[in-house]
Amino acid sequence: MKLTQTMAYAEAADMMFGSSLHPVTTKSGLCIGGGQVVPEIVVHPRAGSEASLKTLLREFERGYGDALERCVSVGLPRTCLEIEHVAQMTRQPDWGAQVAVQTVSLMERFRNQFGIQSACRFTIADIRKPDMVHMRDSERTEHVLDAFDACARHADMVAIESLGGKEIFDHAIIRNDVTGMLFGQAVLGCRDMQWLWPQIVSIARQHGCRPSGDTGCAHANTAMFMAGGYQSREIPHTLAALARAISVGKTLVAYECGATGPGKNCAYENPMIKAITGVPISCEGKSSACAHSSFCGNVIAAVCDLWSNEAVEYHAMFGGTTPAVFSELLGYDAALMNTALGMGYERQLQECMVNSDRYRDPQSYILCPDNAWKIGKAVTENSQSFYARARAAALKCGELIFEDSRLQLTVYERDALAHYMAELDKLPEDESDFIDLCLTRYAKIKGFRRESYGL
Amino acid sequence: MRYLNPKYQVFNRYDLFHEQEEQKTHRFSHDAMLQRVAEHVVDGDDMKITDVVCEALTVKNPQEVIREGLIAGMDEVSRLWSEGSYFLPQVVLSSDAMLAGIAACEEKMGRPIKRRGKIVTHTAEGDIHDIGQTIVNALLGAAGFEIINLGADVLVDHVVQACREHRPIMLGGTALMTTTMSAFPRIAAKLKRLNLRIPFVCGGGAVNENFVSGFDLGIWGKDASWAVGMAEDALKGMTWRQIRAKWNG
Repeated sequence: MKLTQTMAYAEAADMMFGSSLHPVTTKSGLCIGGGQVVPEIVVHPRAGSEASLKTLLREFERGYGDALERCVSVGLPRTCLEIEHVAQMTRQPDWGAQVAVQTVSLMERFRNQFGIQSACRFTIADIRKPDMVHMRDSERTEHVLDAFDACARHADMVAIESLGGKEIFDHAIIRNDVTGMLFGQAVLGCRDMQWLWPQIVSIARQHGCRPSGDTGCAHANTAMFMAGGYQSREIPHTLAALARAISVGKTLVAYECGATGPGKNCAYENPMIKAITGVPISCEGKSSACAHSSFCGNVIAAVCDLWSNEAVEYHAMFGGTTPAVFSELLGYDAALMNTALGMGYERQLQECMVNSDRYRDPQSYILCPDNAWKIGKAVTENSQSFYARARAAALKCGELIFEDSRLQLTVYERDALAHYMAELDKLPEDESDFIDLCLTRYAKIKGFRRESYGL
Repeated sequence: MRYLNPKYQVFNRYDLFHEQEEQKTHRFSHDAMLQRVAEHVVDGDDMKITDVVCEALTVKNPQEVIREGLIAGMDEVSRLWSEGSYFLPQVVLSSDAMLAGIAACEEKMGRPIKRRGKIVTHTAEGDIHDIGQTIVNALLGAAGFEIINLGADVLVDHVVQACREHRPIMLGGTALMTTTMSAFPRIAAKLKRLNLRIPFVCGGGAVNENFVSGFDLGIWGKDASWAVGMAEDALKGMTWRQIRAKWNG
């Protein structure tokens, strides 16, 4: 596979929310990245609703019905629904298919009744846990591919949060081991995607469905959650920033295999992906605080095309049920961005988003469009291997964090980053030398099997 | 791009406001060899610790190396963690070093050392998100408990069977998803039917206090760092109700 060598955007200043170089139109006719930001609502079923297909269908019907009803109620012109599979829907692909049929029917009913434009994305659960099964040859692998086929027949878009390399990443992240993080994400994760994604693309194309994208969720978001807020002491925030930079090369593999976008909402590396590929992206920030906290609530919207809430569990609130409330929040967020676009104030609004969070934390700093573009550039300029581009992204990320004196770091964060940079510097230039080093170093990690990755 | 004047405050960096200076203890033992063992634990040096411990074992007995070297070092790590000087990776690396050192001592003794108490941990049936469990295991292991790690996506009956077999002082369960945490009350009900009234600490992304308080044996673990304190209470013989009353509500 030829790795990407060029940037879609010539400079960061060309990137803007609502528009992408390669907009996507779904089979239901919704255009994403074509000039307006579209809200993307995600509802998570309550505990116990997974007990039977009947209860699960009822839960999703209620959740997305409430969401669409509120969209109409406050006048949203268009919306996207994302359904993230719970494990039961992937293990029993027929369950996933029936939820997809029901969702499409619900969207049609609202389209016919009110004219609201909508599309749905189904994210298949990656149930192939690397330390439990052979990633390429297991019953779980078959279920994942069957679930793609079952859902792509009905859905506008399909996606996944692939888990390749997570067994090594999880071991490494709690040991300050940036070498292991690189091996897990860049060598193993990319090889897993290189095997998986051509199959996803082929299945989706057979059914006129968009193979939308993947994410570093299992790796970089684990790092982000562990890094936590200002009081957390689980892992340094600079390490989470490096994990994010390393994830760019992995997420990019989906597009190199034929994914079209929109990028998956939880891929906080999406600003880099947009800079490199020009595909539309989904992002989540302030309005996904219902799912988790972050330091980039505003800045992550700076170049988004879909604007998501990540996931909200179905519950009652004073203002209605959570799907209704969060549809309204996302809708107003998108309306503000679209108003700015319509009035020619988009640059000013983008500047406000960036300035709000730029120096809040190293993680938000690297997601500012200028820095995201530079990290993307490091990826494309080092296309010799998955490893080379991920290492280059990590080094660029550290360099950017160190070079701006306005970004303050605690002594611990500064020392930790200096340590990671020294470790990255010492690593071999060549991918095969790096793989040899890691196969020796991580051979005894519980559940690691090199054959899962064709090594 | 224009940049905001830093004097115009839109956020406050509380991490800079109260930065903790690390106050390491430097003297653990008057014996130079045991001092080196403890230092390697505090520094989390799991590569060299085996050599250092083996060297100490040529002149010291294994119990002495464990007590005055390995455990002394780990006590210092616990102190640095609880006062906010150490981050999780430092604790995990120190725990790795301590366990490698103990393995060398056990080899010399020809038998395993007695751990403080047995704890069964698992990630819920249907859930493969087990990093929370990994962290809990590392912290409990560092505190000297014996961990029976059942892994991720563990069937309810398998958890119950492990409790029958091992009779742990505490059971731990983690779940990220709301649609998997429903395994916890099913486990608790089966344990109760078998009259195994084991404190069952449940935590993880979607798990909340209301849910866990809804079934007997359940205790909500808000944070991985609570696990050691709860295990200490279970070891003292506190019942699940007493532990719940102390940590929850």
